[in-house]
Amino acid sequence: MSQKTEQSDHANQVVEHFFRHEYSKVIAGLTGKYGVVHIDLIEDAVQEALIKAMGSWPFNEVPKNPSGWIYQVARNHLLDTLKRDSKMESSRETEQMTSASDEIVMTDLPSDIEIQDEELRMMFVCCHPSLSIEYQIVLTLKWLCGFSNAEIASALLKKEDAVAKALTRGKAKLKTAEDAMHIPLGKDLEQRLAVMLKILYLLFNEGYSASQGAALIKQDLCFESIRLGSILLQNKHCNIAPLYALLALMCFQASRFNARINAGGEFVTLENQNRLLWDQRLIAKGNAYLAKASETEVITDYHAQAGIAYYHCSAATFEETRWASILGLYDLQAQITPSPVAALNRIVAFAKVHGAQKGLKELAKIEKEKKLQQYYLFYAIKGELLRNAGDLPKAASVLKEAIKLTQNETEKTFLKKKLETLFDSK
Amino acid sequence: MTNYMYLFRGGQNTSTLSPEEMQAHMGKWMSWMGGLKEKGQLIDGLPLAGEGKTVTQEVVTDGPYTEGKEVVGGYLIVNASTLDEASEIANGCPIIAEGGSVEVREILAMPEPVEN
Repeated sequence: MSQKTEQSDHANQVVEHFFRHEYSKVIAGLTGKYGVVHIDLIEDAVQEALIKAMGSWPFNEVPKNPSGWIYQVARNHLLDTLKRDSKMESSRETEQMTSASDEIVMTDLPSDIEIQDEELRMMFVCCHPSLSIEYQIVLTLKWLCGFSNAEIASALLKKEDAVAKALTRGKAKLKTAEDAMHIPLGKDLEQRLAVMLKILYLLFNEGYSASQGAALIKQDLCFESIRLGSILLQNKHCNIAPLYALLALMCFQASRFNARINAGGEFVTLENQNRLLWDQRLIAKGNAYLAKASETEVITDYHAQAGIAYYHCSAATFEETRWASILGLYDLQAQITPSPVAALNRIVAFAKVHGAQKGLKELAKIEKEKKLQQYYLFYAIKGELLRNAGDLPKAASVLKEAIKLTQNETEKTFLKKKLETLFDSK
Repeated sequence: MTNYMYLFRGGQNTSTLSPEEMQAHMGKWMSWMGGLKEKGQLIDGLPLAGEGKTVTQEVVTDGPYTEGKEVVGGYLIVNASTLDEASEIANGCPIIAEGGSVEVREILAMPEPVEN
């Protein structure tokens, strides 16, 4: 056996992302039991337990029940702190705490199903209506994905102290919300679920947007969104058709990760991707989710997007892409949730079906949209259509505009290359 | 073969690591120690808690260490044929890359009684 495989064998005694997912589970388990008012102490306790595991497991064996080990150590740490704190306080609070600390001797651990329920509840907590979308996202990343402030900052392209501030404020809001830990019912549940799906969608998109440098953490973001979606799926009140559609969409998109960036770190368009690199396992998953999503009368935006992604994933070559079907889904999406960006993406499919000239005419209809005037993709698409229509000088000036507007270096390089080769192509 | 004691000092400040980073950190130590175990070189070892006391004739003090890098975070007993070989093995320890150090000391054994 070579040294290399030997090494990875030992490191693999603990499954990939185990600590990150344990963090989420134990945070959820302890918060479910002791309440979000103690969240700061709970965070410390879980961090402490993981540090202990990290320091002692290599010297010994990995415990037979590593999850239980971490839970137990974290809970003991939490109860010790609560007990110590309560000694400094007085009267009734102390009584309550003493009864809590009696549980130190108890060794009962929550079952996997109980922990899963608590994680689900934690997802509801993170989407509490008192929180802004920004707070909802950072709290989800912190508590349910086990990201550190630095990792959240790098995944969301924010400053670390901005993340810390959002976390502090979000936590403060939850601590004062009386119903923070309640799982809503009926209409409220529906609304909260819709928010949750939106958060997962935004997290995924944040991770999916092409970027350099932090590529790995971004990819993690996408797989975490899928994981959280799968947790929701386990609950009979939450496994609604839009969730299946969202999961299908995420699986289809994630299947192309390995093909999107070439060996030189450059962005590869759908047209030029090596389709053999697409992850067929994820595509199969996406197909299964999409089938479940279709068992409904109500068609959502997620359905339309998942359908579009499906047609891309099921085309053996770029030339075989079923553009007419894709265009139909864009039309559907425009009916469900009209948006300038969706309308813009629709033009790409429209031009594939009806040609670049007609595409340009269609584009002219939405040209006045404020949102699109500063959007690099609008100019990138316009440039491409002009090129295909044979108007190279105009295409060049529009592409320059696109390059000026994009912040993303990977995209910039890609567009520059396109501009350079513009006059070679014909 | 002789036994050597490794004393680990300093290394990475682990208190601010994310769970993912902690796991990566632990993975490196597991690989290294697992390799020693496999070759039969690892005799014993344990981590040490950060806090401690120092007892002298006059006084008992908390935490004898003035600086983090002075703290002994753990020890190992490793089997090797020479001090050089023991140092060579210690050089593979992840703590080295993290800026920490390993002190390598031969453990003196009682002379074996000679039978005749």
